Amino acid sequence: MAEPAIISVRGVDKVFNGGSDRAVTALQDIDLTIGRGEFISLLGPSGCGKSTLLRVMADLTAPTGGTVTVNGKTPGAARAARDYGMVFQQAGLFEWRSVLRNVELPLQVAGAKKDVHRAKALEMLELVRLSEFAGHYPWQLSGGMQQRVAIARALSADPEILFMDEPLGALDEMNRERLQGELLRIWGDTRTTVVFVTHSISEAVFLSSRVVVMSARPGRIAASIDVDLPYPRTAETRTTPEFFEKVTEVRKALHGAPSEQAAA
Amino acid sequence: MTATNISASPRPPAARKSPKPAAPREPGRDGALLRRLTDPLGALLVVVALAALWEGYKAFGRAVDDRFLGLGLPVATDDLSMPHLWTIVGSLAAPARAGDSTSLAVYLIGETTVTLREALYGLGAGSLLGLVLAVLFVHVAPLNRGLMPWLVASQTVPLVAIAPMIVIWGGKAGLPPWAGVTGIAAYLAFFPVTVNSLRGLKSPPTVQLDFMRSVGAGQLRVLWSLRFPAALPYVFAGLRLAATASVVGAIVGELSAGTGRGIGRAILTSAYYYSNGPEKLYAAVLVAAIAGILFVQVLALLERFALRHRHAR
Ligand SMILES: Nc1ncnc2c1ncn2[C@@H]1O[C@H](COP(=O)(O)OP(=O)(O)O)[C@@H](O)[C@H]1O
Ligand SMILES: [Mg+2]
Repeated sequence: MAEPAIISVRGVDKVFNGGSDRAVTALQDIDLTIGRGEFISLLGPSGCGKSTLLRVMADLTAPTGGTVTVNGKTPGAARAARDYGMVFQQAGLFEWRSVLRNVELPLQVAGAKKDVHRAKALEMLELVRLSEFAGHYPWQLSGGMQQRVAIARALSADPEILFMDEPLGALDEMNRERLQGELLRIWGDTRTTVVFVTHSISEAVFLSSRVVVMSARPGRIAASIDVDLPYPRTAETRTTPEFFEKVTEVRKALHGAPSEQAAA
Repeated sequence: MTATNISASPRPPAARKSPKPAAPREPGRDGALLRRLTDPLGALLVVVALAALWEGYKAFGRAVDDRFLGLGLPVATDDLSMPHLWTIVGSLAAPARAGDSTSLAVYLIGETTVTLREALYGLGAGSLLGLVLAVLFVHVAPLNRGLMPWLVASQTVPLVAIAPMIVIWGGKAGLPPWAGVTGIAAYLAFFPVTVNSLRGLKSPPTVQLDFMRSVGAGQLRVLWSLRFPAALPYVFAGLRLAATASVVGAIVGELSAGTGRGIGRAILTSAYYYSNGPEKLYAAVLVAAIAGILFVQVLALLERFALRHRHAR
């Protein structure tokens, strides 16, 4: 890729419960380079280590071996510097805080002045089109709206990277497609690098500039497929032959993954 | 006093379970309104029922010559054992002592204020200790495992054995008697606060803890911005139990202390002179009960205010 690397993963292994008879090799010898501004999807069957790889990059889980560089720093330093924002499958909003105060939280932790983070949080709510819900509480919002608040919250401290772990996984199909469109718009507006975990092939193809296909037991990278469909992508994109071709190509890579062959 | 029912359930954290559809501004408003209407009404009904039971038992018992189905009634119904309710309430207006102008009501309320102050200080000190212990326990797991059994044991020691000890130690240390009473109230108050706060501090789900970590939050920030607010409903559940316990502790403490003040003392005195005016004992008990209820109600009001924005009120 032409862009300079923003994340580099070299020879990373992760073994859970190492040494015991319950040892699980979640990641084995992972090499991955992510360029600045990319929209990368980590795609693979459940349990193949997608979340673990993302969490290693985010310094939420320590790797057993290998090195990771995020924005030129160790993952820990990048985390402390708020170089990335993170969105999880559950919105995980703080139910005692209004929507606005939820979005402000990362800025508060960063020690920003109150008027600064108020303005910034309002700007973020505008970005996810939820300005009129600033004073609402999380339980008053639908699942899709809560997830948009989570995205605004993750972006409020102006991170260069956005890590997302199946953020749309709990939504119904219609909400899901709508939020996929929203997400691409937000990515275009903010020019962040996105690392997006999913187990949906069409979601990965629709969103990503590149799909990284993983295989399970042990978790490895099976393929890396560039998706050269032009942005902006719309509902139309989903109906084009090029889209179907890409989906088929990714599906083949997924099904051709070693573990799947062994299982078949 | 044993350590039963130490862990009260706060409102369930319903909000994070299933996302609701885009909701109107304030759902559950009708429910809240209904409760506000029925709350005092329900309380009144209970009072009326209790009064009817008292007077009914008294009238009915005498009608059947203190026997019912061949069994002796457990309590005699004569005026010495069970004064009429109007006699009890009437005695509140009468002078507390012969030749004294202050009414019994004023005297009892004065003594109650003394007791409630001791209970309040005890509740404050005990809750603070309880919170500090919970915070320590959530961060230092070995401390939790090592100390918790001792805390449980401390609550199973009979209060009547502990109370004089604390009062005597307080006296030896040169503290005024009320300090000992406050100490006993605190001794009973800290435990439910510890147990419930600990549960509350541990209540945030992994996704919220992971999120705090992802924004570079340290332990102190996690405690302040996540664990404390998440624990608040649990803390209040503990405080409600602690408030009741602290009033009991203060009253029992007064019986062992040489203060000569407080509603506990007043109850003891009127029990001593029971045959001179049985209604005075019941009046004192009545005032103590009402004071205890008010004490807990103030706390409930505080809780309602602190948790006003949360779901499932
Ligand atoms: N904290 C953990 N302790 C033990 N095993 C784990 C832990 N987290 C994940 N694993 C295991 O590691 C493997 C990869 O998990 P994960 O990264 O969550 O997969 P994915 O996100 O692709 O579904 C699975 O076999 C899972 O059981
Ligand atoms: Mg996962």
